[in-house]
Amino acid sequence: MNGPDPSQAETAAIHIAGLNKHYGAFHALRDIDLTVRRGEKIVVCGPSGSGKSTLIRCINRLEEHSAGRIVVLGTELNDDVGNIEGIRREVGMVFQHFNLFPHMTVLENCVLAPMLVRKVPRSEAEALARKYLEKVRIPEQADKYPAQLSGGQQQRVAIARALCMTPQIMLFDEPTSALDPEMIAEVLDVMATLASEGMTMVCVTHEMGFARRAADRVIFMDKGEIVEQAPPERFFTTAQNERTRQFLSQILNH
Amino acid sequence: MGRLLRNQKVRNGLLQALYVGALGMLILAGTLIARRNLAAQGITSGFDFLFKSTGWDLNFALLPATAMDPYWWYFTVGILNTLFLGTFGLALATVVGTIVGLARTSSNDLARLLGRTYVDIFRNIPLILQVFFWYAVITHLPSPRGAQPSWGMFLTSRGLYVPAPNVGPWSLTIAVAAILAAIVLPLWIGRTARIDRPLGDRATLQLAAAAAALACAALALLAGRLPETPFLDMPALQGLNLRGGLRVPPEFSALVVAIGIYGGSYIAEIVRGGFKSVGTGQMEAAGSLGLTAWQTFTLVRLPLALRAMLPILANQYVWLMKATTMGIAVGFSDFFMIVALTINHSGQTIEAIGLLMAGFLAINLSLAFFFNRINKAIALKGNQLRG
Repeated sequence: MNGPDPSQAETAAIHIAGLNKHYGAFHALRDIDLTVRRGEKIVVCGPSGSGKSTLIRCINRLEEHSAGRIVVLGTELNDDVGNIEGIRREVGMVFQHFNLFPHMTVLENCVLAPMLVRKVPRSEAEALARKYLEKVRIPEQADKYPAQLSGGQQQRVAIARALCMTPQIMLFDEPTSALDPEMIAEVLDVMATLASEGMTMVCVTHEMGFARRAADRVIFMDKGEIVEQAPPERFFTTAQNERTRQFLSQILNH
Repeated sequence: MGRLLRNQKVRNGLLQALYVGALGMLILAGTLIARRNLAAQGITSGFDFLFKSTGWDLNFALLPATAMDPYWWYFTVGILNTLFLGTFGLALATVVGTIVGLARTSSNDLARLLGRTYVDIFRNIPLILQVFFWYAVITHLPSPRGAQPSWGMFLTSRGLYVPAPNVGPWSLTIAVAAILAAIVLPLWIGRTARIDRPLGDRATLQLAAAAAALACAALALLAGRLPETPFLDMPALQGLNLRGGLRVPPEFSALVVAIGIYGGSYIAEIVRGGFKSVGTGQMEAAGSLGLTAWQTFTLVRLPLALRAMLPILANQYVWLMKATTMGIAVGFSDFFMIVALTINHSGQTIEAIGLLMAGFLAINLSLAFFFNRINKAIALKGNQLRG
């Protein structure tokens, strides 16, 4: 379906071929091949320790891969700092623990990178920030500090902060895992809106409702390998692999 | 009655009353005994001695002081000397501590090892030994006749001789203040302007402010120039001794070096802890937004680390301020040594000790107050449980 195909490296949003990652003796990722088309929405799931977070952290070099090739938006991810910074400008990331800058207001969090990295003037950056805060439905919190907001609000600020760089790809690393149940929906709604607008997204999440609603493809990982990948309707009904079926029964039946 | 004694509030009240009563009795008894003993020795208590001439000289004073001056003037000079020594000692300790602390958080193995060795050695040797060590090193330097000048300075067993400007004291004070402003103003602009302006503009503003302050300093120096002397008074050998320039006495240098190196080892640990307390998450977030390593350091890591360091740093500064009392070990006329000499000469032990305590209390409470204000101003807003 989406096997390694060198011709896709230039046109795809993300092209990963033969990716391996070791932490000392621990083999975290084994021979990953994955191509994400522009505009495609991917949900990555799997048991803890399966390497799903490591995989998406490799895409913007928060983790350095040990072997294999990663091409993001036509740029090869290697030791070249220029390439890394170039890719990070175009790839937004949302973290499990929000990672907002606690010493800056919500608005400052949002304008920092556009002003410093994209050299956008302050007024323009603020207009952009207010637009995206509106989009994540918390424009009234602009002058508060992160710790004055609820977890769900903080995560929406984190999404707005990433969007202010007008990225072409968004990575979500378990964005709802640290949230109280009633706040999960508000974050997932924002993510679904983003998906419907054609953003290229790679989401590590266990929110299977979101996967059904928004994903083009669901990937199941276990022990550092991609075990199964399929469109959501097929993934949830006729999973081929025994480990996938077991995982699904564990997270869906309760 | 028994039931009343089992009541928690009654019981607490009774215990407190007993405690306060006992304390009051103790203080009263102490005062009465001290009074009687003082009277028996023929010492009149009171602060009249403050207005008598001391009759002894000081070996270091920032303001003119002679044996004819009264005690209160000597105390003022002593507090100034303590503050002067403290300023240099704390500044050196901060510089050393920052460098060693950064080395300890470095990813370079050698830097980490050097930093750790430094801290292990200098934190575990008593300060007084370090004071004696540096004093011995400095007093074993060559005599003025054998010293080689470098950049117009002589490092000798009688002290460090440096060129001094031939300028009146007031214009010198103004020049020093202006030079300080040249350091503080750019920092202040960087803090208040934060990210309100694009970086280029801010740097220009900072440079302009620094240049203006330095120009003021130069102007003050030129205006206050003493007539018919060269601008710089260079130390030069004359007979057996050096004449001219400014002499930094070995006692002062030894104390500054000892406090700087000893305090630096503690501050290094505070710096290291501050940087370690910043979560990797914030740094990863900054990196994922495309910020460079330097931007991440100056805008995210350093501001957060400073917030974590400041309260402990304030504590350490207060501690080091008290360490200036080591002056008495090598004969530097700090506040403590002047109080000790006062006790010897006037016999007014209780009053002099009282003034000593009041003086240090005033210095250190001011320091603590100043740091608490900064701490409050930059404290992170909101509930920090979620970080």
